[in-house]
Amino acid sequence: MKRRKIIGILSCLLLLILVVSGCAKSQAASKQKIVFWHEMTGPAGQQLDTFAKEFNQSQGKYEIVPEFEGGYNEAVQKILQTHGTSTSPALFQSMDVSTSEIYHAKIATPVQYFINKEHYNLNQIQPVATSFYSQNGQQISMPFNTSQPVLYYNATLLKKLGIKAPSINPSYSEITNVANQITQKSNGKVKGLTVEEYGWLFEQFMANSNEHMANNQNGRAGIPTKVDFTTPGAQKAMSWIQANVKKNDIINFGSGTTAEANEIASFLSGKLGMFLQSSADLGQLLAGTKDKLGICYYPHADGQKANGVSIGGASLWISNDKPKSVQNGAFEFIKFLMTAKNQAAWQKATGYLALNKNSQQEPILKKLYAADPEAMVPSEQLSRTKANTANSGIFMEGIVQERNLTQTAMQQIYTGANIKKSLTTAEDSMNTYIANNNKANHYN
Amino acid sequence: MQMTNDRVAPVSAGSRRLKKVGKYLLLIILMFIVVSPFLLGFWTSFLPTAAISKGALWGKLSFDNYVAAVTTTPILRYLFNSLVISLFTMIAQLLFCSMSAYAFVFLRFKYRKFLFYVFLATMMLPFEAEVIPNFMTVRDMGLLDHFAVMIVPFMTTAFGTFMLRQSFMQMPKELKEASDIEGLNHWQFYYKVTLPYAKISMVTLGAYSFLSSWNQYLWPMLTTFSDNFRPVQDGLRQLQSQETFNNWGMIQASAAIVVLPTLIVLFIGQHYFKA
Amino acid sequence: MQQSLQNKAANESSNLKLKANSTTASKSKDGWYVALFLGPSLLLLGIFVFYPMLKTFYLSMFLTNNVGKATTFVGFSNYLSLLKNPAYLSSLGATLIYVLAVSALTVIIGLLLAVAANQQLKGIKIFRTLFSSTMGVSVSVAAIFWLFVFNPSVGVLSQLSTALHLPVINWLTDPTFAMIAIIISTVWMNLGFTFLILFGALQAVPTSLYEAADIAGVSKTTQLFKITIPMISPTMFFVLIVTLIEAFKSFGLIDMMTAGGPNNATNLLVYRIYQDAFLNGNFAQASTESIILTVIIAIFTLIQFKLLGKRVNY
Repeated sequence: MKRRKIIGILSCLLLLILVVSGCAKSQAASKQKIVFWHEMTGPAGQQLDTFAKEFNQSQGKYEIVPEFEGGYNEAVQKILQTHGTSTSPALFQSMDVSTSEIYHAKIATPVQYFINKEHYNLNQIQPVATSFYSQNGQQISMPFNTSQPVLYYNATLLKKLGIKAPSINPSYSEITNVANQITQKSNGKVKGLTVEEYGWLFEQFMANSNEHMANNQNGRAGIPTKVDFTTPGAQKAMSWIQANVKKNDIINFGSGTTAEANEIASFLSGKLGMFLQSSADLGQLLAGTKDKLGICYYPHADGQKANGVSIGGASLWISNDKPKSVQNGAFEFIKFLMTAKNQAAWQKATGYLALNKNSQQEPILKKLYAADPEAMVPSEQLSRTKANTANSGIFMEGIVQERNLTQTAMQQIYTGANIKKSLTTAEDSMNTYIANNNKANHYN
Repeated sequence: MQMTNDRVAPVSAGSRRLKKVGKYLLLIILMFIVVSPFLLGFWTSFLPTAAISKGALWGKLSFDNYVAAVTTTPILRYLFNSLVISLFTMIAQLLFCSMSAYAFVFLRFKYRKFLFYVFLATMMLPFEAEVIPNFMTVRDMGLLDHFAVMIVPFMTTAFGTFMLRQSFMQMPKELKEASDIEGLNHWQFYYKVTLPYAKISMVTLGAYSFLSSWNQYLWPMLTTFSDNFRPVQDGLRQLQSQETFNNWGMIQASAAIVVLPTLIVLFIGQHYFKA
Repeated sequence: MQQSLQNKAANESSNLKLKANSTTASKSKDGWYVALFLGPSLLLLGIFVFYPMLKTFYLSMFLTNNVGKATTFVGFSNYLSLLKNPAYLSSLGATLIYVLAVSALTVIIGLLLAVAANQQLKGIKIFRTLFSSTMGVSVSVAAIFWLFVFNPSVGVLSQLSTALHLPVINWLTDPTFAMIAIIISTVWMNLGFTFLILFGALQAVPTSLYEAADIAGVSKTTQLFKITIPMISPTMFFVLIVTLIEAFKSFGLIDMMTAGGPNNATNLLVYRIYQDAFLNGNFAQASTESIILTVIIAIFTLIQFKLLGKRVNY
């Protein structure tokens, strides 16, 4: 009898688990649920939630369920590893550099399929962005949050200290001169400049010097088999930073997400004069300070023409492991996000660039530019750049690895290590990685 | 053994008091080292974020951060998830560990010694080194992003078995003999005699398994993808990374919400055990 | 090590034989009961402990592709390239420093707390409760508390140094100080548990020993080193090993506070496994690292068994 009691208790508990978890899963079952994984934080995350809410209210067929999945790197593996299970997302945001990997894993329906089916006008989207995410003339994913690295400076502060603002297209020495003056004239209270130890910025130094990091023209002409981290442009940028870190004109804020958060916090509290970061921080910076913000293009080496930097950010993919109706709903939401109005709202809220060409005519952006003309600079940088294989991103797998390695090399360089040696070590590790990866995936 | 020879001089009342003050001073310094991170966290949880990000440690005190944490973040849901997961893990561990411990103490079978070594050997294998295949296993079982994924792999442990086995072995032999005469079978002996006898060990193991489940960090981070199932440790991680703008006040308030229940239980528990 | 385990098991099995003789009546039915009592645990351990260990070893002999499938057999070359990889070796070194520092400091400070709390004073109970309080702190809460302490712009430490005109330390961005910060946070988290165990051991030391020493006129400091520490040294060593093993498995604080940086200074073994598998998608390398970690932990666990065996036997 008592045995029955125990078994009874156990089955009750089991039932409870099922009920509790069932409750959690069966909210609003009437609409077609579309789970959307994203990696947006801060104001961008909030804006994305707002978009999802607006979309859900605008129609009765689909319900977008946004789920924040942590950092970009973390999310890529989650997406790859859950594909084909019931927990995988129907729609996901994945970073620029994962494009090659996700494409080769064959887990997504190319958005071209829906574009053709619904005669969606792709020409309204900025071609620089769409070409980044297309392969063999097919649009494989929809560009979404798109940014470019820029140089921010505190214009009010410079004025107060009596320092001439850097020009719109500055050279290395020009901005370290400004940085030096900031530290001098503020008696060290304000730090001059910081450049985060971040592989993405390392790539941009190369792109802006018109150099390929990976062979086969950064992977556009075939699967890369080797990388080169020790190009003249890369070395020039690194020795510029190292020399100025030594002189305290460049301050080291470290690496990782905390570094960026700390840079922003310092900049907003007037303790940092200039920093290199994604244009996506613009919204946060405009909202966070009363000081006038200044923006210039990514700095280039002295006596050299700027080749332009590649875009960063992420695109939206539609998983191929969900029923057609769900996939259609996912594309509906993509279309909703890409309207001129929503793209304008997106740029205003986040600093990511509006990708719909008609967004620039939207009142929300016109108002933004009127109030703060600087906000136009990142878009200008994007549109003046002539796309070539050096500045269109690297179509290669294992960029996460590459960024870790170059980041480590940067960390060593900032603290005084031999530049060539640090970069060569990173390069060798990356080449080993590429060789193994190509072998493991049977690419050669 | 070499002992120092300084005789205890007759001490005056004054120097004794001085000594006492010194003792308290040492205790207070030590206490300050231990609790200052708490105090700082709790204190800032009442300050407006604007003040904190300016570097001020003073400002208008309010519950605003707590209200914001409860209303704008799923912190309560995270707590509930953790409670469910830890509770079920605890129950399962108590059941399965006590059963296997019983088998090793009271049942006779071939390879018992060998199997016991097998159990012991699992204590040498860190779970952290096995997450890759385990992730693939739970994925193939369809358990991802569900309470079960954080319960099923931890329903038994070699440690728990070992601990209860020690306690069962201390049972007087007469108990087993008497129950054999009464005709109790193994199952009856197990739940009528063994479990009540080892009550204290069971409670200890229960507390231990609850806490270790509550403190799980890496595994839920890999296997949960939605707030519906995310336990509180990863919920806090999520909040911290989501708030890139460093809404420090609210984050500290969330941390306080998470830590207060365990602290209260700990304090009450200690009082109860010592009394 | 093995020998003591075997001795212990031999002792126990002879004990059990005695018991088993008394249960001959139900012997014939034991088969079913074995399946019932032992089956669930065996099954669970098989699926979630033994199979994954073998699978991890298997994966470590292959190259894995984008989705983590083993594709190309390479034998032990993953091990060779890992042991030649300077980044991994520095990770190993950093882990050793971390583990040693954490376990030594935990035991020393824990002992200090326990000795201080082991006095007859008014209100001592409050101190005892507070000393054990970090036991109630989970890893993510601890990380948040300490992140705030170490934060370079709003953190208390940097403000304190500014106010005192000391150089501001970049706690989490300087490789050396980041390691120190992680060690401090880990030790702090460990204190509550260590305090409770050591305090318990202290209370078990017979007071007559101290009384005799007092009469002999032995100073308190000498008593600490000649009576207290020798009496509780088995417990101290046990705590040391447990802390050591746990420190090898540290993950949460690192994930939230430094993410393995700066310059991989805090990229300890478990974090590296996570990073290689679940951030970089290199499952083969992560599996190789897992096996190396397992070997290290197995060695220390055997030492722990030996201690446990002693404690059990005496």
